[in-house]
Amino acid sequence: MKTLLRAAMTLAISLCLAATASAQDASLQDILQEHAEEIADPSRGTVGQTLTALVETDHPALPGFLTRWQNREAYQRDADGLFVYVEDEDADPLVLLDIESGEPIGTAGSREVTQLRPNGGVRRVIGGALVQFQLGAENPATRLEALSAIANDPDESYLPMVRARLEAEEDPAVRARLEVVLPGLIIAFAEDDAARVEAIRSLDGNVSLDARATLNRLLSTSREVSDVLPDDANVATVLTPGSDQLSIEDAYAMLVAADLAPPLISRTEQRDVLAANVVDGRVGGVPVATLNTETARDAAYDALVAEGIATPLPTQDEVDAAIESHVFYDAYTEPSSAVTDSARATLDSIETRVGVYRFFDLSLDGISLASIYFLAAIGLAITFGVMGVINMAHGEFIMIGAYTGYVVQTLIADYTLSIAVALPLAFAVTFALGVLMERAVIRWLYHRPLETLLATFGISIALQQIIRQIFGTQARPFTPPDWLAGSVTINDVISISSIRIAIFLLGVIFFVMLWLILNRTRLGLEVRAVTQNPAMAASMGINPDRINMLTFGLGSGIAGVAGVAIGLFAQVVPDMGSNYIVQSFMTVVVGGVGNIFGTLIGAGMIGSLQKAIEWLNPTNTLAAQTYMILFVILFIQFRPRGIIALRGRAAGD
Amino acid sequence: MSIFTRNRSVPIFIGILALFALLVTVMSEAYGTGAISVSFTKVLGMTLCLCLAALAMDLVWGYCGILSLGHFAFFGLGGYGIGMWLMTARTEAVVRANLANQVIPPTEAEVSEATALQIFSVVGGEDWPWMWAASGSLFLSLLLIVVVPGLLALVFGWLAFRSRVTGVYLSILTQAMTLALSLYLFQNDTGLRGNNGLSGLQNIPGAESIGQDRISIWFFWASALALGLTYIGAAWLVSGKFGNIVRGIRDDEQRVRFLGYKVEAYKLFVFTLTGVLCGVAGALYYPQAGIINPDEIAPIASIYLAVWVAIGGRGRLYGAVIGAAVVSLLSTYFTGGRAPDVNLGFMTIEWVDWWPVLLGLGFVLVTLFAPKGLGGLVDYIVRKDRT
Repeated sequence: MKTLLRAAMTLAISLCLAATASAQDASLQDILQEHAEEIADPSRGTVGQTLTALVETDHPALPGFLTRWQNREAYQRDADGLFVYVEDEDADPLVLLDIESGEPIGTAGSREVTQLRPNGGVRRVIGGALVQFQLGAENPATRLEALSAIANDPDESYLPMVRARLEAEEDPAVRARLEVVLPGLIIAFAEDDAARVEAIRSLDGNVSLDARATLNRLLSTSREVSDVLPDDANVATVLTPGSDQLSIEDAYAMLVAADLAPPLISRTEQRDVLAANVVDGRVGGVPVATLNTETARDAAYDALVAEGIATPLPTQDEVDAAIESHVFYDAYTEPSSAVTDSARATLDSIETRVGVYRFFDLSLDGISLASIYFLAAIGLAITFGVMGVINMAHGEFIMIGAYTGYVVQTLIADYTLSIAVALPLAFAVTFALGVLMERAVIRWLYHRPLETLLATFGISIALQQIIRQIFGTQARPFTPPDWLAGSVTINDVISISSIRIAIFLLGVIFFVMLWLILNRTRLGLEVRAVTQNPAMAASMGINPDRINMLTFGLGSGIAGVAGVAIGLFAQVVPDMGSNYIVQSFMTVVVGGVGNIFGTLIGAGMIGSLQKAIEWLNPTNTLAAQTYMILFVILFIQFRPRGIIALRGRAAGD
Repeated sequence: MSIFTRNRSVPIFIGILALFALLVTVMSEAYGTGAISVSFTKVLGMTLCLCLAALAMDLVWGYCGILSLGHFAFFGLGGYGIGMWLMTARTEAVVRANLANQVIPPTEAEVSEATALQIFSVVGGEDWPWMWAASGSLFLSLLLIVVVPGLLALVFGWLAFRSRVTGVYLSILTQAMTLALSLYLFQNDTGLRGNNGLSGLQNIPGAESIGQDRISIWFFWASALALGLTYIGAAWLVSGKFGNIVRGIRDDEQRVRFLGYKVEAYKLFVFTLTGVLCGVAGALYYPQAGIINPDEIAPIASIYLAVWVAIGGRGRLYGAVIGAAVVSLLSTYFTGGRAPDVNLGFMTIEWVDWWPVLLGLGFVLVTLFAPKGLGGLVDYIVRKDRT
């Protein structure tokens, strides 16, 4: 082991030299030929010097050769001593490849070449040199790769190199990784418990998955049973049979497995024993036909035991006594209690921090879900909330917006540009559709609100089917541009996809824009006037027909734009709208009708609530949706007019 | 039976229904010429069940003014109620037959265990969920069909009417209810086999030797009987003072309240009653359909129920029946692939594809131009008679 370390240290020094030495023009083959003998038949004592010399040349193809050499994939041609690789080692004849270019340079029978077969010790030195080579590489990505290799296959020989690297490292990402890998190595290989405890402490506050995995590995336990608690075991917990941690059945099964108690038999096994001992239609004197109760079977089995055919079963008292006289415990696989204690303390402290981060992450998820609900509902907040029209085709406007995005993307190859075109185009398309629908159908039904529901439902199934006719039932690809495809990762706990940030921003923009339109423009004033009292508004010179048309178009157009955003992360299928329609109505109703601020709060509440429920039961989003809807139903009982209820004349009734 | 003289539609409706039932029987495979196939007999029986649900919808919407968009939830619950019994009894029979070959006869516990494994292995379960507790007994299951939808309607209605949720808000809330129920049932771990639903319901336990041809016609009779009785009952209910108050609530809730009536109690009664009726309709429907899954109670199904009533004409009982029968039979015809395609030269209209478009536009046209629905036609004919 000492020679190994020494070899590695010499290498470390030579590496620094290699970095300063100018790259030589000599080919790798020439360099290798200089040390041909050593490479062909290396010994553990001398290979270090050879490697040092090789590393000094800093040849770019050297790491490749070292890898092959280490894996016994390099060959030497017997005739002229040329070092080669082979294409397929089972082929005959072998196709020889140049060690630098990888091009075929000829063929040879398997007897004409010699495989380089370094022994285990030598391979280890080569591996060390390789990792060293990569750890010292210019490119931080290569250094990270080397660290991943070390973490996957830790070895004591890496310890000094990683330690040295940590002192010199300047790149923050590599440094962060080093700070996890080094303690991992120390914990695994240091002899001294104090050093290991210190390494464990150094991980405190580190929420990365690697750090948590390292600590969890230390804390792995195995379940043991014995007569008395052994002194030398590092016991995590002593278990009481019959508690939540260990049931009586499991405890007895452990005793049986450890040959400390005779086995019980299950009902199935009992039945098999009985079936194997049927004599003249009777088992132990009991007729087979009556063996359809457990008591009868027990009696028959006891009879078999008395005859000495079946093995006697332990009685309940014996089972209890056996369990009573043994001790069950979880023992750490790590023998040192100082190490496990500090690992437990550190892990607990990390978990607390992870919990806080997770809460942040969950809040981000909640906000992001809320912005999706908000986007889906905001068009409805205008058509339903402000105008009072129950537009069941709202979901289909969202769907048509998404399909507009898809169509634009088939025409314009550049994803960024296509989205920039799709957003206003989707608005235009659904605005036109909305105006058409308002003129043709809805304006006749303003005094019959429940019937608009039926008419617009008819329009919704017709639209859905027409789109299905044109585009088919298959999901259509609508791909976000690359800059939206990734995600923003703060640490291993908190991350959020870029598209969700974009949707959040879009929601904010929509909200501000609509608020300004409704409260700060002439159009908004007229909209509010017409919705409150059309007759009075008309007598003031406002044309209610025109305003209704424009308002409905605005609401529909916004649904279309929302559709583009939703289509970027959801599947673009003809019935995608129906996924949003009920939730959208609920969002508007919960928030309070007639008020886009209410819709914002409603969406925020529903979104964060759903995420909170999901957090309690993370595997089941369906359950979260179910309970969220139940909550909304109950909520409406207490605030039938929503969170922000209009008062006075504006309320309309 | 004064109701037969007071409401002229009752004797006519019962007469037509009886005639129809007789006709179908005469043409059925089991007892007649065989002109109507077993599967079509089932379609007709199922249509009668949908008519029954539509009748309930007309009571709650057309007479009481509560546009519930969640009544199909009760329909589905009725189906699940009977489905649990059908599936348990049927699977148990199969399991017993399999276990009969064993040397040692099976215990009751073993049969129950094997049955549970057979039913729930598809969702990775092997134990009986709590809601299957009544599935071993037909009587308890029949009770379940009435009690579960009734209780849900009662609790939901009490909450909603107590806090005066009305109009559109109530419609959306009922939508939310049925959505929540279907999402709940979609989960694999809630005990009703998730999106697999309950299947094999057409096999009636104890009737293995009787062919589907006779079972289908028996269910058809049962559906017709239920529809007829409900029609008489509904006509009686809306003809008296109760009917007047309920109609008053529909037209002006406030005024009825100021007259001293407990509006909430009336609404709750109608809501719960119709919930139970839908449950019964569902319990008759799904043994004929053979399978039930949570998709059946998706919000859209309840909207269709309302649309049938609207197309048939609200507040006239027979309108709901006509609407449900016409629309659902036409849908079956056009989406069943039996309707001939129309070749327009430049394109071929395939009814399977274009029927939903036509149906949707039909809803719009009926809403805009015939707010009284198909029932308006009857008015027109009757008035012509009188003049």
